[in-house]
Amino acid sequence: MTAFQSDATTRTNDDVIVELRDTSVEFGMDRGTSKVLNEVTTEVYRDEILGVIGESGSGKSMFASAMLDAVPEPGVTTGEVIYHPEEGDPISVTDLSKEELRQFRWEEVSMVFQGAMSSFNPVLPIKTHFVETLSAHDYDIRRGLTRAKELLSDLYLDPERMLNSYPHELSGGMKQRVLIALSLVLDPDLLVMDEPTAALDLLMQRSIVSLLEDIKEKHDLTIVFITHDLPLVADLADRLAVLYAFEFAELGPSERILEEPAHPYTRALLNATPNLSAPLEEMRPIAGESPDPVNIPEGCSYHPRCPLADEECETIDPGPYDAGPDHDVHCHHWEQSIEDLDIAFEETSDSGTTASAVEKASGDPLVSLSDVEVTFGSANDGWLDFGESETVTAVDGISLDIYDNDVVVLVGESGCGKTTLAKTAVGLQTPTGGTIEYRGRDIWEGASGSTLADKEIRRALQIVHQDPGASLNSHHRVRTILEQPLKRWHSDLDGNDRRERILGMLEYVGISPPQDYIDRYPHQLSGGEQQRIALIRSMLVNPDLILADEAVSALDVSLRVGMMDLMIELQDTFDTSFLFISHDLSNARYIAEKTGGRIGVMYLGELVEIGSAERIIHDPQHPYTKALRWATPELEVDQVAEESPMRSIDIPDPTNPPSGCRYHTRCPEAREVCATQTPEFVDLGDDVHAQKSACFRAYDDHEYWQSESITDEHADANVGTDTDTDSGVTSESD
Amino acid sequence: MRSEDDSTTTNESTDAAGAPGSVDELIPDSGGSTDDRSDATVRSDGGTVDTDSPFETTSTVTETRGDRIDRFLEEYIRTPWSILRNDWRAMVGFAIVSFYIIVGTVGVYLVDSTYPAHGPQMVGAFENWDFPLGTTSAGRDVLAMTVHSTPSILIMMASGAVFTIVVGTFFGVVAGYKGGIVDTALSTITDVFINIPGLPLVIVLATLLEDWINNPVTLGVLLAVAAWAGLARAIRSQVLTIRNESFVESARAMDLSTRWILTKEILPHLMPYIVVNMVNAARTIIFAAVALYFLGVLPFSDANWGVMLNNAYHAGALYRPSAYHWLLTPMIAISGIAIGLILLAQSLDRVFNPRIRARHQDVGGDETLEPDAEDDTKEMMNV
Repeated sequence: MTAFQSDATTRTNDDVIVELRDTSVEFGMDRGTSKVLNEVTTEVYRDEILGVIGESGSGKSMFASAMLDAVPEPGVTTGEVIYHPEEGDPISVTDLSKEELRQFRWEEVSMVFQGAMSSFNPVLPIKTHFVETLSAHDYDIRRGLTRAKELLSDLYLDPERMLNSYPHELSGGMKQRVLIALSLVLDPDLLVMDEPTAALDLLMQRSIVSLLEDIKEKHDLTIVFITHDLPLVADLADRLAVLYAFEFAELGPSERILEEPAHPYTRALLNATPNLSAPLEEMRPIAGESPDPVNIPEGCSYHPRCPLADEECETIDPGPYDAGPDHDVHCHHWEQSIEDLDIAFEETSDSGTTASAVEKASGDPLVSLSDVEVTFGSANDGWLDFGESETVTAVDGISLDIYDNDVVVLVGESGCGKTTLAKTAVGLQTPTGGTIEYRGRDIWEGASGSTLADKEIRRALQIVHQDPGASLNSHHRVRTILEQPLKRWHSDLDGNDRRERILGMLEYVGISPPQDYIDRYPHQLSGGEQQRIALIRSMLVNPDLILADEAVSALDVSLRVGMMDLMIELQDTFDTSFLFISHDLSNARYIAEKTGGRIGVMYLGELVEIGSAERIIHDPQHPYTKALRWATPELEVDQVAEESPMRSIDIPDPTNPPSGCRYHTRCPEAREVCATQTPEFVDLGDDVHAQKSACFRAYDDHEYWQSESITDEHADANVGTDTDTDSGVTSESD
Repeated sequence: MRSEDDSTTTNESTDAAGAPGSVDELIPDSGGSTDDRSDATVRSDGGTVDTDSPFETTSTVTETRGDRIDRFLEEYIRTPWSILRNDWRAMVGFAIVSFYIIVGTVGVYLVDSTYPAHGPQMVGAFENWDFPLGTTSAGRDVLAMTVHSTPSILIMMASGAVFTIVVGTFFGVVAGYKGGIVDTALSTITDVFINIPGLPLVIVLATLLEDWINNPVTLGVLLAVAAWAGLARAIRSQVLTIRNESFVESARAMDLSTRWILTKEILPHLMPYIVVNMVNAARTIIFAAVALYFLGVLPFSDANWGVMLNNAYHAGALYRPSAYHWLLTPMIAISGIAIGLILLAQSLDRVFNPRIRARHQDVGGDETLEPDAEDDTKEMMNV
């Protein structure tokens, strides 16, 4: 970082690679012109990594598109975008002809988009994608492919195997890495990445981000990294730019933005971002909503949500104020903001943490899962079945007790079976083995097909989905959506009673005035409001256990803490138990620590560790939990870049899971015994139930300690022939 | 939190004390529980929480029967009308279809029926105002024949279309949603009907059911016998995707009745598709009927557009300019109703779109605050 700062001071105009002057992007709409990028002026310096951060609908994708003059029709880009090549005259990107643009993109500036899945043609092998790109730009194919292979191996992929595969044969993370290689094959100077990791798991995100640094060094790249996830770029980027309402709120060196942000929005955003180290009381949602692109507020666009706003803010658009070297802030009151708005908010009274997980874990369980197994796909029954046996064991023998007024958060990578397990627990997925008991009764007793026989149990177990847009029927009004559960379970209420109750609930969760909302359709509500409706819908039937399936991950960062607070509050008020699913350890920690609940870590269909939030976060025992902990980015600049605690980036093929401990193929501590024996749960806590881990390392004396380490060896033979592991880090070492 | 009920006056909260575990628990009272919420008054999505009991601030206006009727009218009459009013296709389609219906109901009383030697032979169109559309070679009035065949054609069309839609939708939705053995059974029946060759079946049935066939309802259903199966298959595949949507899963989790889920949760999503298919079915029926009359497969006793075409053809209208009006009149009548139905179907698509419905209602207050604007932008940006 110190090296960077000396760079910053000696920077001249020659170092600018792209410069935007008063660049706007507009879309004509029925209701008026929608400005999705509002007179942005900025520069990108050569050889830097610029992190652009914004919530959804803040114009960050438009910023990326404008840089390549690639705004989709009918959008119009105005203003200037100037590209400075290493040699030669500056190029005005907006004036380029179609043919020149085609040359310019990819050869000078290339872009990596969000959906790696849809960036490849599924019927062409990966090699053809490279060849087509090279021939479209009149490059020498053979030299280009050599470069492609080099790039692929830099990204820890097996070049030969990658080039000969079809897109569907690769996992999401592999596809994303191949896409990065593809975008670099013509040796561009600037790489624009628009949410390149958003669709990926935490571990994969983290691994790709740490690879970017090396790639950048090796190929002399300038990277513009656009994301909604502030902690992800915090330690990667040299400079950070914060976008709010289609213009920059603040732009400056990373450590300045993180340690002494000047704009009230940046400060609020930092406080709203859940992470692992900050005290819970410091986390605050941002009040209000991002503005509509058609009606950007006059003056400073943040003033309706800003605690410091005065008349000046409502009328005069704040120009860039200089808040230090290379640090520009668009706020009239930035000095006051630094003084008055603490990043750490005033200490709130600790709301007397509810009974800890240990205390709750006594008495009879509410829902008890024992040895639950769920298998998908059909086995080869050998009779007129020529395909291979294709079964995936999504959940493999998990036992879990959920108590009254309890909170359990399941975390894990996608495909680890956490959603399947949770849906099985609430009776929405039929298990293929094991039993689920609700207050001692088997819930599938007497059930026909996929519906539970006992309607009381059905009522007691409810679900809140991940995507609030899809969990409400778009054809019904809020009234109809909320009336149905009441009609079904409280038939004694008449229409007026129901209406009153719905209005009361709406108001209780902060949707007011409720009379306005009751006749709305879901599309007329914001994501946060939709999620609230979905939440109270399941509350209306008065359940005992609610499954919240990634219930906050579809919301904006600034709304997540607010939503989680609401859930916790409702949990408290109505004595419900919650089963949360999250792929994000910081969200899991927020909920579990605030409610005194437990965190369960899942890996490939197995529960590998479970325990109270403090124990899991601060004293993880299982190596996989440690890896998750590593992958959860922190809001610190000068974080020591730790070595990845995994030997392989990619998850083994779930249709053919490794033998013994399933994590042994990636585990840095794996020894020979891990490949053959399956570890059982061990109680680790001093207290009862405080923490359990399924790892031999938890035993003091186990043959594990005498066993040979397998970490130096080549990926195991028993992983199978076609699994992802042999493309991992280890295979590259030999 | 249920201890301080005396501070509230509503019925609900007094019930709450006696009924733990009921929904009444949801009513937060204004007592001690507000204290621990006071630090959370500001909601991140812009709403605020009133720290007073929400139940005391709710509307005390009770909804009367009148309000409910009003809401019903709003939902099913005024809103669709308001949407269709601004769409020329709807207006033209409505005009055309209404014209046919008027002709089929009122027209038959205004125009006397005709008989052989009613007038001179082969009068051309617009030559003699006693017979505006001319006469046939037998001296029958073309206009009167056209008008008097309208009611039976419309009834046949409607019954055929309704049969196709009802049976096709029922088989498709139930098979798709229920799955398992029900799906297998219904799908097998559907497949059987898909694979029956339609035309020979109709010819055979027409012969067998000769006594019934002159009833337009029977005829419509008969012609639709082979048509519904394709629709059922298509709807089944749509339902298979919808049944895995989160809102259906939520409905099942709340144990809403299967009937509700099928008719109110799933069916609205299929309505545009169903309506377009209904109109297509109506068109197919009329084309098929006319074709079969023309071929002489269907027995005919009285005048009918298809029969007219047949007679005109046999009278050599294809090469006799003096008989063109005999051929053209039923052709125009058939094309006209087909165009009217297509226009209507295209415009009805909009009626089922909740975004457009919402725009045509005075709901939700300030128009500019509607967040759907953002979605529109996102759609435009292909994000």
